[in-house]
Amino acid sequence: MASPPSLSGPPVSAGSGADIDCRSVTSGYLGSRVLHQVSFRITEPSIYVVLGPNGAGKTTLFRTLAGILRPYEGEVFIGGEPISRQSSRDRLHYLTHLDGMPDGLTVREAIEFFARAEGAQSGDVERVLDQLQIRELSTKFPSQLSAGQRKRVSIARVFLRERSIYLLDEPTANLDPKLAREIRELILRLSREKIVLYSSHNLFEAREIGRYVLVIKSGQISRFDRIENVRGSRYVLGIRVLQPSPALAGYDHEGEYYLRELSGPEEVPGVLRELMAQGVQIREAREMENPLEDLFA
Amino acid sequence: MESSPTEYISRSLLSVTVRRALVSARFYLVYGTVISLLLGVVLAFASGSSFASSYPLFLPIFGVVGSMGGLLVFTSDRTKGVLEYLLAYGYSPRRLFANILLTAMVLVTIVVAISVSASLAVYFARGHPATSALAIGLGVYAIPMTYVCAAFASTVGVYWTALSSLRVGVSSPIGLTPFVGILPALVTLFVIIGAERSGPLSTTTLLLILGTGMGLIALFVIVLLVSMGRFLRRERLLSAA
Repeated sequence: MASPPSLSGPPVSAGSGADIDCRSVTSGYLGSRVLHQVSFRITEPSIYVVLGPNGAGKTTLFRTLAGILRPYEGEVFIGGEPISRQSSRDRLHYLTHLDGMPDGLTVREAIEFFARAEGAQSGDVERVLDQLQIRELSTKFPSQLSAGQRKRVSIARVFLRERSIYLLDEPTANLDPKLAREIRELILRLSREKIVLYSSHNLFEAREIGRYVLVIKSGQISRFDRIENVRGSRYVLGIRVLQPSPALAGYDHEGEYYLRELSGPEEVPGVLRELMAQGVQIREAREMENPLEDLFA
Repeated sequence: MESSPTEYISRSLLSVTVRRALVSARFYLVYGTVISLLLGVVLAFASGSSFASSYPLFLPIFGVVGSMGGLLVFTSDRTKGVLEYLLAYGYSPRRLFANILLTAMVLVTIVVAISVSASLAVYFARGHPATSALAIGLGVYAIPMTYVCAAFASTVGVYWTALSSLRVGVSSPIGLTPFVGILPALVTLFVIIGAERSGPLSTTTLLLILGTGMGLIALFVIVLLVSMGRFLRRERLLSAA
C-alpha cells in the first residue's frame, strides 16, 4: 500500500503555530463514510488547491478540518493540538460554499455579528466594508442582494481578522470576473504567510493561484503535488500574432490562436525562436490545455 | 481575564437571535399577540364569567403561534449555512438548540405580557371581580401552560426540522409545529373534561391534574434537550445544499 501523501515545507513564520496534520481521518455523515483514511500534513504557507469531482469529498474534508464534522477514525491537529480544542479552532478561518447570511440582519449587522464571533474590532468591520466594496449594501437585507453580492458579504468575514489557516470552499463561485480577480489577489497576498486550502471547480483559476494541488477522488487523496509537476497528457501551444504569416500555414486555429501540439513545455522556446526568425510578430504565447483537467480523468 | 471571542458572542447570540426572530417572524408574533388580545378584550366586554372560563383556554394556542420565530430562525440558519459557521466557531449543537428555546421563551413572554395585561385591564375596567376561578385559570393554567406548550413546540420543531428533509411548505415541520405545539394543552383539557364527567372537580384535584400535565410536558422537553447529543448529530445541522 502506498504511503499517504505528505508534504512538509519550511517552517511557518515564528509564532503563527500553524500547520495542518490530518492523520488517517475517516469521516462522513450519519455513519456513511465519505473520506477514507485521509492523511496529509501541511506546514508551508501557500495556496493548496483542493480539486475533485462533485461528491468526491472536498466539502467533507473542509468540514472535518474545521472541526464541524467529527472523524469516525483518525484525528485532525491544528498547530499540534486536536481540532476539538477551542484554541485550534481560533487558528483558522472557514468559508463554506454557502452564503451563511443570517436572515433578519442587514449586511452591516451580519458582519458585526461575525466580527464579534471573530473577536474583531469595529474598525475591522469598516475596513472590510470598503475592502469588499459592500458599504453601499450595508443597510440591505440578504433577500435584497444578488447571489454575487451575498457571496461578497460572505467572504468579508474571512478578512475581519487574521488567522494562520484559511479553509476556503469555492470562494469565487458566483462572483463577477473583476471581483473574483480581486478576491484571488487578496488570497494570494494572504498565502505569503498563511496556509490557504482553496477548493474550486475553475481549473484555470486553480492553476493561476495554486502552488500545490490536492486531488480527492472517492474520498481519498489521489494526488498531492506541486502544480508545476502536474503534466497533461498533451501539451498544446497557442500563439497570437500581430499579423498573419505564411509561417503559420500548417497550424490549427482556435479563435485568435494558432495551435501546435508539442511533446512538452521545454520545446516552447525553440518553436518561438523559429517563428520569430521567420518574421512572425508574436503577441502572446500560452499553454492551451490545462493539465489539471487530466487529474479528473 | 479577557473573555474569548466565542464566550463574548455567547452573551450576544440570544439577543441577536431574538432580534432576528422579531424581524423574520413578525407575522407570527403579531398574529399571536393581536388575536389573543382581541379575543381577551371581546370576552372581557361580553361577561366576566366568559372571560374567566374561555380566555385561559385560548392563550396557549396563540402563545405557541407567537413563539414560532425561534424555530423559523433555526430552520433558516440550517438551510443557509449559518449553523455551520456557528459550529465552526465552537458552539455545541445543544447550545444552539438552547438558544432557540430561550428565543421562543422571550417571544412567548411578549405575547403573554401584552395580551394578558391588556385583557385584564379591560376586564377590570368593565367592573368584573377578581375571582379564584380567574386566578387559577390564568395563573395556574393559561400562563404556565403557554410557556410549556411553546417550549414543547420549539423542541419538537427543532428535532423534526433537523431530522426531516422537507424544509418548506404547510406539511413541513415549520408548517405543522403550531398544531403539534397545542396538543399538550388539548390533552390536559380533555383529561379535565373527562374527570369532570363524574362530578365537579375540587380545586385541589384540578391543580393536581394541571400540575401533573405540565410537569410531564416539561419533563418531556428536558429529556429531549438532554438527549440531543445522542439523537441529533452535528451533521443534522448542516445544509444539504
